[in-house]
Amino acid sequence: MKEKKQKTGIVVWILSLIALLVASIALNKPGGKPETIQEVMKDAVLHEHNKLSLFGIIDVNPAVVSAFTVTGILLVFALIIRIFVIPKFKYVPGKLQLLLESWVGLFDGLAKSNSPHRNGFLGLYVFSAGTYIFTSTLFELLGLQAVTTGGISIALPAPISDVNAAIALGCLSYIVILSGGIAGNGLKGVGRTLKDFSLPISMSFRLFGALLSGLLVTELVYYYIALSFVLPVVVGVLFTLLHALIQAYVLTMLTALFYGEVSERHERVAVA
Amino acid sequence: MNIPLNIDWQQILLHLFNFGILTGGLYLLLYKPIKAFMDKRTAYYKDMEAAAQAKLAEAENVKEQYDEKLAGADEEIAVKKKETMAKANDEAEKQLQDAKAQAEKYMQNAREDMAREHDRILEESKKEVAELAVEATRKLLAQTAKDPYESFLQNVDGGAADEH
Repeated sequence: MKEKKQKTGIVVWILSLIALLVASIALNKPGGKPETIQEVMKDAVLHEHNKLSLFGIIDVNPAVVSAFTVTGILLVFALIIRIFVIPKFKYVPGKLQLLLESWVGLFDGLAKSNSPHRNGFLGLYVFSAGTYIFTSTLFELLGLQAVTTGGISIALPAPISDVNAAIALGCLSYIVILSGGIAGNGLKGVGRTLKDFSLPISMSFRLFGALLSGLLVTELVYYYIALSFVLPVVVGVLFTLLHALIQAYVLTMLTALFYGEVSERHERVAVA
Repeated sequence: MNIPLNIDWQQILLHLFNFGILTGGLYLLLYKPIKAFMDKRTAYYKDMEAAAQAKLAEAENVKEQYDEKLAGADEEIAVKKKETMAKANDEAEKQLQDAKAQAEKYMQNAREDMAREHDRILEESKKEVAELAVEATRKLLAQTAKDPYESFLQNVDGGAADEH
């Protein structure tokens, strides 16, 4: 009796799914002129058409709004942690405390291991950059909607999928490395940093390329309705998670590595 | 100038501005307090370890001292024993000397007392004899009107006969 009920339930569930699928395909009326795959991909890369209004002041790429949203979420989260969790820290940590300490300790350790002689600011920078890259990459999974200035609803993308954000972060990392060179070795440090003049470009475009490739694959998959079942779980979630981890690690590790290299003091050995 | 790839300096600056806010906020709200707590804990355990090390070193030191003391204890005991024996001997000798001196003193006192008693008894005896003699003489004189010399002789004879 019980088994029979279960079988009936499964059959009803499958029939409902088929009915929903058929209905969704049947109701798929193109509203006006549909975008071609070329247009979709181009817009995903260049953000030329869809603009959002930033606080009603200027029109910006959706990635800028995403970036401010991510910052807002992170700061609210940090504020809650600061008020409710940190004052209750104990010498023998609980699970949440352990997570927070590991989070800070990971980037602090990265800075200390790659630049043992000078790492105060570097630790903070890699912590902040790593957190930002990881969180902002995962942000696209939320699929928050925003309305463009043209009245079209779009899902907010990951901030670093915009080349401007990637350039900002890449160049900022280069400036941090340069500052480490100056602080550690003065003009010689500047020379050492400028020697790697391709660094800002490579850092920027590595970030941009990695994030963009994920975005393009996702766009490609979503463009065709037949690929919109099951596959997005793998493409969207797993790829995004991997990107988030890998890119956060790569940028922070490279920054710490170059920072340590250019800020290291080389004492001249006196020849007797 | 139209930069390719839709690169926009304004938006780059906006991203930098956003990242600046995020870095500052995260530093104040998370990084600094968590790191401060971790440093505090590290310092606490370092102090604890240093205190433990100091106590361990102190204990080692005390142990060494005790070992040394233990090693020298037999020698010390022998020396102490010798010292104590010598002291006891000295004390016994002293007590013996004192006792001898005391006995000598007692003997001397006794001798003096005996001599004094002897003299006193002798003196008293002499005195008594003299008194007896005087008394006897007085009695004789008072008793008889005889020739004192005869009476005396009779008395003396009578006394001698009585004695025998």
